[in-house]
Amino acid sequence: MSVLVANCPACGAPVEFKSGQSIVVICNYCRSAVARTDRDLRDLGKVAELVETGSPLDVGIRGKWRDIPFELTGRAQLGHEMGGQWDEWYATFSNGWLGWLAEAQGRFYLTFQRQIPEPGQLPAFDQLQLGQTIPGLPWPTPMMVAETGRAKALGAKGEIPYLLTPGETYYYADLSGANGSFGTLDYNETPPLVFLGQETSLAQLGITSTRTPERDQRQVDAAHLGCPNCGGPLELRAPDKTERVTCPNCNSLLDVNQGQLSFLKALGQPTFQPVIPLGSTGDLPEGKMTVIGAMSRSVTIEGTQYFWSEYLLYNPQIGFRWLVHSDEHWNYVQAIPPGEVTEVARSVRFRGKNYKIFQDAPAVVESVLGEFYWKVEAGEAVRGVDYVSPPYILSKEVTTLYVADASNPAKKRATGEINWSLGTYVTPKQIEKSFGLSALPRPSGIAPNQPYLHTWIYKYWIVLIFAALLVSLAVFITSGSSKEVFSKTVNLQPLPNEDGTQVFFSEPFELAGRRNIRISGESPVQNTWVYLEADLINEETGLVQSVPIDISYYQGVEGGEAWTEGAQRDSIDTSSMPEGKYVLRLEGQWEKWQQPTTVSVRIVQNVFNGFNLLLLLIGISIVPIIMGIYHISFERRRWSESMFSGGDSSDDDDD
Amino acid sequence: MLKILYTSFSAGVIGLYTVASIWGWEIGGGSRRQLPPDARQNGYRSFHFWHYGLRGGK
Repeated sequence: MSVLVANCPACGAPVEFKSGQSIVVICNYCRSAVARTDRDLRDLGKVAELVETGSPLDVGIRGKWRDIPFELTGRAQLGHEMGGQWDEWYATFSNGWLGWLAEAQGRFYLTFQRQIPEPGQLPAFDQLQLGQTIPGLPWPTPMMVAETGRAKALGAKGEIPYLLTPGETYYYADLSGANGSFGTLDYNETPPLVFLGQETSLAQLGITSTRTPERDQRQVDAAHLGCPNCGGPLELRAPDKTERVTCPNCNSLLDVNQGQLSFLKALGQPTFQPVIPLGSTGDLPEGKMTVIGAMSRSVTIEGTQYFWSEYLLYNPQIGFRWLVHSDEHWNYVQAIPPGEVTEVARSVRFRGKNYKIFQDAPAVVESVLGEFYWKVEAGEAVRGVDYVSPPYILSKEVTTLYVADASNPAKKRATGEINWSLGTYVTPKQIEKSFGLSALPRPSGIAPNQPYLHTWIYKYWIVLIFAALLVSLAVFITSGSSKEVFSKTVNLQPLPNEDGTQVFFSEPFELAGRRNIRISGESPVQNTWVYLEADLINEETGLVQSVPIDISYYQGVEGGEAWTEGAQRDSIDTSSMPEGKYVLRLEGQWEKWQQPTTVSVRIVQNVFNGFNLLLLLIGISIVPIIMGIYHISFERRRWSESMFSGGDSSDDDDD
Repeated sequence: MLKILYTSFSAGVIGLYTVASIWGWEIGGGSRRQLPPDARQNGYRSFHFWHYGLRGGK
């Protein structure tokens, strides 16, 4: 139902205000922005023709958000000072709400204007700091400043709920919070207007009919162009997104504006050769993606310049992704909302995982090839901070731009943005498979987020240790108790001389088969020794098992401290012997050979021997210990490349 | 591959331990010899045999 139908003050064509909240309507015939006032309609000037951004949305499309129907009644196209533009759609809800649906890089953010208790507390634009949390917002999660900038009203369509003046610029700050929270501070007014909401999707908006078919058709139409410098053929693989492209024929840097190319400058020969050819399509985790651009970047640390290359990937359904190639290591990188990352001193937390700081240095674009969705050029510098938690790397890039103030050109205002991206380590083999390449160089060093592939061994180790203990327990229980088979106290007469011996033979006794044997001897020696050679002799087969029994015990007081050494008892375990009748032969010598001595000898079978269990545990542990040493060496090599040598080691408690 | 190797090796070690426990095997524990038949017939309890026969003198 129309609220107001009138004639365009510029061309006389009928214009219609369907929503009572609309302030401006764009004339369908002459593109004049027509504002309604208390008394009449006012012509604010003509808006530019909308740049085709490939949006699936259009004025008139209906949807439903949280069961409340809405209709997209207007669209404004705003230009970004760093190049490119984005769309803002105005959703008029059936209950009278007015939603602002921002669309950028294929993502959608639905916000609503919020009244805040004390708007005067909001910081002024010039006081804003990237990354700061805005206090006093009526929102469940903290909202941080992810971007500050200046937007320019370029074009519009339909009805606009504010006084849109073509060509007017205004300052804004985009906010980001956890769980997809998004907001905008609109500094077009004082105090700024506050819009808060969340990232959403077409499905969540209940939008099923889009203008995608037209978009695809238009994409095909705009794909093939000619270089304005050399006339050579040029293919744009992301025509609705591309802001800059290099000519593959003359290597000129070209600006892309609504599908029109203009020469910017000659770049000379590129300083690097892409390992993955531009135009290649690879099968990546999120789907098939095409390499549309490549750039070489560098950081300088302690006077040494380190280079790496980045490949811009594109798929209209997925958006933009990156492949980062550094020291023959590869990472698959995607942007993440800044508000999802929590910075704590020298680490950050993202999706329940802690990341340790690895590097903080200015990164500079060295050379570019192909297409880019922003106005890239060599020399572009950002502050890059990398945090690692293998196999992931979180990268923060802070861009700062000083722009002349619209009302006072002599005054420069700082704007900028924080971009966070999540990189996942990819092996060269996976890249080869994805892009059908072969013989990619293999890395020799350790990448910041290269995963150590053998952490599994620690879990295996623990499991096997438990298994070994269980087996040991089972064997102990099933083998039964130990059994004494012989016990005798032997009195040995004085020796004939110092080198003489005394021999004792026992009566025959039975030994069971498959049972180990412990032979022990005990003598009440004090500061002297007794040595016995014990022989178990099988009377039937003549098999002899010889074991030495060395009893020595010394004690005394030295410096007021009592000490002892040795024991009055010694025992030795030996393997089982065949079942049968045995005789024990003892041949003894002792230090005080002139005196008789007494030895108690005991033979027990089926005894528990911890030495075997110890050997078992050592056997199971050898490989994990070696791997653990290698792991430590691996991590040392990784962090030797870091500016922070280990980051914040206090918190690696991954959830 | 390493997982299989390590698991196999460890299983072997545990198996060896189990067999050793069942059969009463011990590592070390002195030497084992066989008395010659003639020594058994002639009386192995003699001093001479133990000192010059089995051990070759000590």
